Amino acid sequence: MSAAGQNMNCEDYKQAIAADPSESFDGGALHSSECSSCNAIKAEMQALDVRIAAALAIDVPDLKMPELPAITGEGKVVDLASRRPIRWTTPAWIGLAASVVLATVIGVRMTNTGMEHAGMVDGTLAEQVIAHLDYEPRALTVTDVAVSDRELYSVVRPAIATLDRDLGLITYAMSCKINGREVPHLVIQGEKGPVTILLMPEEMVGMPIRLEGKSIEGVILPVGNGSIAIIGERGERIDELKTRVTETVKWSI
Amino acid sequence: MNSSDADVGRKHRFDRLVGVWHRDMYRYAAWLCRDPAIAEDVVQEALLRAWKSLDGLRDDAAAKQWVLTIVRRENARHFERKRLETVDIDNLTASQAAMLAESSDSDLDDVRQAIYRLEDDYREPLVLQVLMGHSTKEIAELMDIKPGAVLTRLHRARNKLKDEIGEGAAA
Repeated sequence: MSAAGQNMNCEDYKQAIAADPSESFDGGALHSSECSSCNAIKAEMQALDVRIAAALAIDVPDLKMPELPAITGEGKVVDLASRRPIRWTTPAWIGLAASVVLATVIGVRMTNTGMEHAGMVDGTLAEQVIAHLDYEPRALTVTDVAVSDRELYSVVRPAIATLDRDLGLITYAMSCKINGREVPHLVIQGEKGPVTILLMPEEMVGMPIRLEGKSIEGVILPVGNGSIAIIGERGERIDELKTRVTETVKWSI
Repeated sequence: MNSSDADVGRKHRFDRLVGVWHRDMYRYAAWLCRDPAIAEDVVQEALLRAWKSLDGLRDDAAAKQWVLTIVRRENARHFERKRLETVDIDNLTASQAAMLAESSDSDLDDVRQAIYRLEDDYREPLVLQVLMGHSTKEIAELMDIKPGAVLTRLHRARNKLKDEIGEGAAA
């Protein structure tokens, strides 16, 4: 290497990039931008990490939820052999929220969104998506402050999906639970306001599900073996967002 | 608030802070012990511990690190109790072999086997970084080692994997 990277030599860089292929360490980006051989090593390590992430993402079985004992202050952890396993169930809040949405479908307006989905195809998923909007209203803040790469990629992990920042100004990223599965919940700032995007790699839908409300609209889009929900304010360019989302998000599982 | 309301509130908090991570808990446990059946037991024990200790979680934002720490401890407890011998990849039990069941992707199988063969000290930080999205500092706290040691283990782990599996079919 010649004058590349004033604070880091190639040997240091090789060790650092093998420990952290995201290149978040000090001086890494500067060094690789000026050193072609180290830049090639970075690409090699990042390609290796994609393979590692895929290999680590083993199938998760239907886990059995242990019976949770009443907490009396002197509670004792129940012995494995004496527990009666039950199926892992959808958390109670999802059940409650879904009930609220069902009430919406039969004519009662929901608190924030006033939203329902057109038709009843894949109703359960649509109901949970809609309910989730009311569950995390703080996500829908108008802001120009983007989430950090670290925050974003700890939610959209390589084992789930890859995406790039071309998606838009991402101002919220949180792991949430839809239909009993952990999914990345992102918010980007659209033309009319915040747009919610739920990446659901394991929720297959047969066709796009249109979501319509008094003040907002959206769609659950089939993408590969999963689906992506996109919900924005009324008048938001959902069709344009659909294209952008499908171009920038790739499932890993 | 009466006791029934408190129970419901506790269950909601548990679902929100602990239940949401159950898939990560399982995968972390599976790669720690390299046995899906044991991983399920470890996750069940960890869920019970988390339920009992939920009041001790003061910072909701730290819930994931907290539950993974519980999984790690439960895994250690399990092996202290069982005193299981070292896994020989050529002589796996049916449950262990299930974790390496062949898929339609031979490269994926090769990488998975290579990770399976990695020493525990190298495999664990790799799982925490790549699969769980943990920072070096978070891994160091979880494993109770220094950040420098985490980085050393990570670069050695990747170099070992690179030597073993090469650049793969996609490269």
